[in-house]
Amino acid sequence: MTRRVALVLAPAVWRTLPWRTLGATGTVGLLPAALCRLLGAEPGGSSAMGLLRFASLALTLGAAFLLDDTARHTTAPVPTGRAVRTVLRVVLVTPVAALWWTAVLLLVTGPAGPSAGDVTLEAAAASAVAVAAATLAVRHTDRTDPGRTVAVGLVSAAILVPVMQPSRWALFVWPADPRWAAAHERWGWVLAVAVVVWGLSLPEPRTRRSLRLAVTSPCGTSAPSGGR
Amino acid sequence: MTASAPVSVSASGLSLCYGGTRALDNVSLRLTRGVTGLLGPNGAGKTTLLRVLATAVPADRGAFTVLGHDPATARGRQEVRRQLGYLPQTPGLHLDFTPFEFVDYVAILKELTDRAARHQEVRRVLGEVDLADVRGKRIKKLSGGMRQRVALAAALVGDPGFLVLDEPTVGLDPEQRMRFRELIAAAGESRTVLLSTHQTEDVAMLCHRVLVMAGGRIRFDGTPAELSARAAGRVWSSSERDPGAKAGWRTGTGTFRNVGDPPEGADLLEPTLEDGYVLTLDGDRAEVTA
Repeated sequence: MTRRVALVLAPAVWRTLPWRTLGATGTVGLLPAALCRLLGAEPGGSSAMGLLRFASLALTLGAAFLLDDTARHTTAPVPTGRAVRTVLRVVLVTPVAALWWTAVLLLVTGPAGPSAGDVTLEAAAASAVAVAAATLAVRHTDRTDPGRTVAVGLVSAAILVPVMQPSRWALFVWPADPRWAAAHERWGWVLAVAVVVWGLSLPEPRTRRSLRLAVTSPCGTSAPSGGR
Repeated sequence: MTASAPVSVSASGLSLCYGGTRALDNVSLRLTRGVTGLLGPNGAGKTTLLRVLATAVPADRGAFTVLGHDPATARGRQEVRRQLGYLPQTPGLHLDFTPFEFVDYVAILKELTDRAARHQEVRRVLGEVDLADVRGKRIKKLSGGMRQRVALAAALVGDPGFLVLDEPTVGLDPEQRMRFRELIAAAGESRTVLLSTHQTEDVAMLCHRVLVMAGGRIRFDGTPAELSARAAGRVWSSSERDPGAKAGWRTGTGTFRNVGDPPEGADLLEPTLEDGYVLTLDGDRAEVTA
């Protein structure tokens, strides 16, 4: 039943995606790379990596808004679980994101540029973190627009992590850095962990215990009320 | 509708805390076919109770069944949701959709996958809520009342046996409210409807039974007449506001209508459901906003 519902549901879910936000982040991410190409500049090494990281950040921010859904509460108690809709959203937007990222790579990378595979891994891992964080936010809060909060967290992380990361755990390194290969092994782990967290956050909790992130203060009950 | 009618929804010992706040405190209830009203001040736990019964949020403790299905299991929850129509307090809609497209979307979520049958059902519920004429218009171009009716149509699609309505008449003008009353009354003829509201008139006109909540607990469970009767002999008229009254106000005729403990020889008036409600809350020292 779920597969049949998912197939019938796909066109409607496509329309519920936050296309304006995705379009805006996509445009902003693509703009510097497109301008460089239009101006005839051929960024190499660090400049190319800077452009790619900027595009990757835009992609990640777009992914943070993927689960924003104004009709969340109206469509909460339906037999087709939230997980189906979340997976559909990701499945539907992935080809579009892949095409967009390919365009970025075509505009930026050249013989002197960083490895397309490695930067794609970075972008995929960062986007997966964004989707996992948004899924967690949906699971643990009532918000219909978790994207903004998640995006603020991601931007903060993008600023703080490069500054505060210990050298031996570095993630954001430049192509000439000898730690490049090790950093991308770590990006692989980030991607794997994000996917696992996303998968675990997908199902709707059946008990409040599984909802709680932290221990809350105890709250007892009184004698029964009602029950005529 | 009587207390001996078949029980559609049965809950026992429902409790739920947000942080240290007890939103639901050991609530037990049994609902039968027809419209049951749920009254209570802001923060009484009405919306939380509705969300728990609608399986939108799990309770900390307690259990309930809807039409014989227990939502504690994955299968049971799905069965409950197949029988459920839910109109939240602030229903969010996709504003770029038309009413037809939105209700169709909800119908698919309710597993109506056959296109022809689904479209027929969507047309039926849109007709039921009187939106057939605007079914092709974007929701963002509709009035607040019409949007509310789109949300009600979404709740009604699939002909659910249990309808949970959270303050559906808030923000509607008198004509729209009357139209909504008609719809809810019609829905209650064949279903179990739980209607949360601040409008005691809605309860008086629609419900065969009323629950009053305060502080996460059910303070009253009976018929609207029984709730009104709680104020029998405790509503009186006077030429000045009685300082001993719990509440008192000047009416259009210039006399004061007082609610509380009347002085001897007071000119007693016929109590309303609202009087009974206010005195029920007052009796439990609950906070009542005038």
